[in-house]
Amino acid sequence: MNVNFLNPFVEAANEVLMAEMNVSTSRGPLSLHKSALTTDDVTVLISLVDQLQGVVLYGLSYDTALKFVSLMMGQEFREFDNLAQSGIAELGNVITGRATIKLAEAGYRTNISPPTLVSGRGVQISTLDFPRLVVPLQTSLGDLTVHLAVREASPDTRGGNFIPLAVNGAGQ
Amino acid sequence: MMNVKFLNPFVEAAFEVLKAETGFSLRRGDLGLEKGVYVTEDLTVILSLVGQVEGTVFYSMGMPTALALVSQMMASEVASLDPLAQSAVAELGNVITGRASVKLSHAGYESVISPPTLLLGAGARISTLDFPRLIVPLEFGGGQVTIHLALREGRGNVVRSGQLPTPPRPEV
Repeated sequence: MNVNFLNPFVEAANEVLMAEMNVSTSRGPLSLHKSALTTDDVTVLISLVDQLQGVVLYGLSYDTALKFVSLMMGQEFREFDNLAQSGIAELGNVITGRATIKLAEAGYRTNISPPTLVSGRGVQISTLDFPRLVVPLQTSLGDLTVHLAVREASPDTRGGNFIPLAVNGAGQ
Repeated sequence: MMNVKFLNPFVEAAFEVLKAETGFSLRRGDLGLEKGVYVTEDLTVILSLVGQVEGTVFYSMGMPTALALVSQMMASEVASLDPLAQSAVAELGNVITGRASVKLSHAGYESVISPPTLLLGAGARISTLDFPRLIVPLEFGGGQVTIHLALREGRGNVVRSGQLPTPPRPEV
């Protein structure tokens, strides 16, 4: 797992949070996990395909999510309703989209899936044989944790329909 | 609106793959359409499609079904869902989706699939936001696997940016 893949996501999150809600972020300690992720209240899941493949997950608490959407939409949200869910999913979408532009500039062409939102604390999300790089982004409204589990696609699977799960040693 | 034509490739692929891998013959249950959140069963395999058809597909099942499938695939009684068994269930989702995407490409919809992500734990809430989900339960002797499809025709396509046609040079 290449740590360089993480920076575009951190930079993009920084820029998007600043642009959308004028909130600055500071980067917490980086860690690498091989076990399943146990979810926080809200998790936005977006897949990456093409030259990089894998998944990026953004985890945050209800409290932080509500503060984020309140600022993004300029009205107070007290409940994590459909509109709030859509706002948080969109936030993940925009950060990831921006990160892929940066990745493209670094020579990695990627395409992203629409976001999926998982609500509920304590669920385990396994990225299987993809180790996850985890970095908490601390803001005055709470943490947004970025989990990145990607690897470079091997040339023969690139753009193919089948993505084999167990490419020996890849992503380790 | 969710397009039903995307469903059959997944159902056919699931029939074929489960028959080949586990020997189980499936029976298709009643089709449903849901707009609200999906409250997870014990196990959910999540994959995304990106391209001329885009969105997310879930395969959900209870623990007894997962164990029955894995026991058949590995030809030995599997009593708990250890990492190897988890990987096998995820791989099943991967193979079904890969096969479905080949069928979709025959129908004129090119797509690339993401690697699978596995969600462990019942009761989490997954939202596909503005994507309604087609739901089809597939029943067999050992239990039931439910396919949830949240797909739409993609705006994006899988034409590589390097292959995009260059516009004609303007006449001077």
